[in-house]
Amino acid sequence: MRYAIREMIGENCMTQQSGQQIYEMIYPRLQAGQSVELDFAGTKRFLSVFFNFAIGQLLRDIDPETLDRLLAVSNLSPVGQQAYDRVMENAKRYYSLDDERQRAFDAIILEQATLL
Amino acid sequence: MTFITQTSMTIILRVPTLNDSQTDCTRLFSLWQQLQNLESQEVIVDFSDCRFLRQNAVAFLGGLARLIQSRNGKVNFVWNTLQDDIRANLTQNGFIDIFDGTQRKWLGNSVPYREYRYEDMDAIASYLENCWLGRGWVQIDSASSDEIVQNALEVYSNAFEHSASQIGIFTCGQRYPNLGKLHLTVIDFGVGIPPNVRQFLNQPQKLAADALKWAFKLGNTTRANKISGGTGLNTLKQFVKQKSGTIEIYSHDGYALITSGQEIYQRSPAFFQGTLINITVKCDSPAYNSSESTLFY
Repeated sequence: MRYAIREMIGENCMTQQSGQQIYEMIYPRLQAGQSVELDFAGTKRFLSVFFNFAIGQLLRDIDPETLDRLLAVSNLSPVGQQAYDRVMENAKRYYSLDDERQRAFDAIILEQATLL
Repeated sequence: MTFITQTSMTIILRVPTLNDSQTDCTRLFSLWQQLQNLESQEVIVDFSDCRFLRQNAVAFLGGLARLIQSRNGKVNFVWNTLQDDIRANLTQNGFIDIFDGTQRKWLGNSVPYREYRYEDMDAIASYLENCWLGRGWVQIDSASSDEIVQNALEVYSNAFEHSASQIGIFTCGQRYPNLGKLHLTVIDFGVGIPPNVRQFLNQPQKLAADALKWAFKLGNTTRANKISGGTGLNTLKQFVKQKSGTIEIYSHDGYALITSGQEIYQRSPAFFQGTLINITVKCDSPAYNSSESTLFY
């Protein structure tokens, strides 16, 4: 299934709401093991909050290998690709932790915060 | 520093000369502090002592006026106390039009003053692209322009998501074509970054400076609902470092200065409940042929 992002939310991909809109559309398909293509042709601006809500949070329930296999992203501008890559790298780290490790990770963050 | 004279129903606020140094920001926060207990009073804003207003001061004064109005106060700008060159710029950048409505702004070279009550990112993107970077006043290629605008937008996005400002966000910019530099100020009168970090980490004693440092670290976010984040401010930080720019943040009693060569997080000399962010970025090259003055006020 191909989704034309510009037709759905316009040329700017910049808000939580638009990110959540994309997430809610593609999540059921990906969960069902179906392929999804997000076509960013004609889009212009991208903020990290959009990618975190649209795609980053998919990694909460879908492992990175499966997501890489099922989700294709096309026609992103260089600036958009840069933002996407940074968000996905961070999200993979964030969601790769199981509950126990998540607690340990949170504890490390707290410890770092205490030491600052 | 005392900038107000108070009678039973009226406060006269004397605006000093305001540049964008730390001392000037301290003066701005002093204005805010002295108006904290105001309720349903009239504030007369007198510019007789003001010889210069930088973009951070324009944005802050606009926000301060809206804050007073939100508390049922009345703001009366005494425009005839303005120096001619400051009046010309406040007319040109739309400040007088927004608060007075009788002097329409005119199309000039100054970067407009803007206030955004709600998160209208399309409008903000258009503002940054067309009004801040402007119509060819700085020499910059399309890719660099997109990168600068996108990084600046992260600040607004962050403010709308986390500040909980009841009166919105206030912004103004300035160009220095001869130096190849762009300045931008974004101010909210919300809850501030340190309280958000303290609450998220459940560390009420955490120093404001340490909270700011935490907020700039990749992957650190106060966003709820287990949705990843913590990339916006870090991306901005990396960007200004690469571009030999600077980020300066005042939030609560925290202060941060980030440049290509250093990151300083320390106690701010003056308390301000919201957040004031000054960003400076360098363009590809200085526009030596520009006829625009480097100083507008």
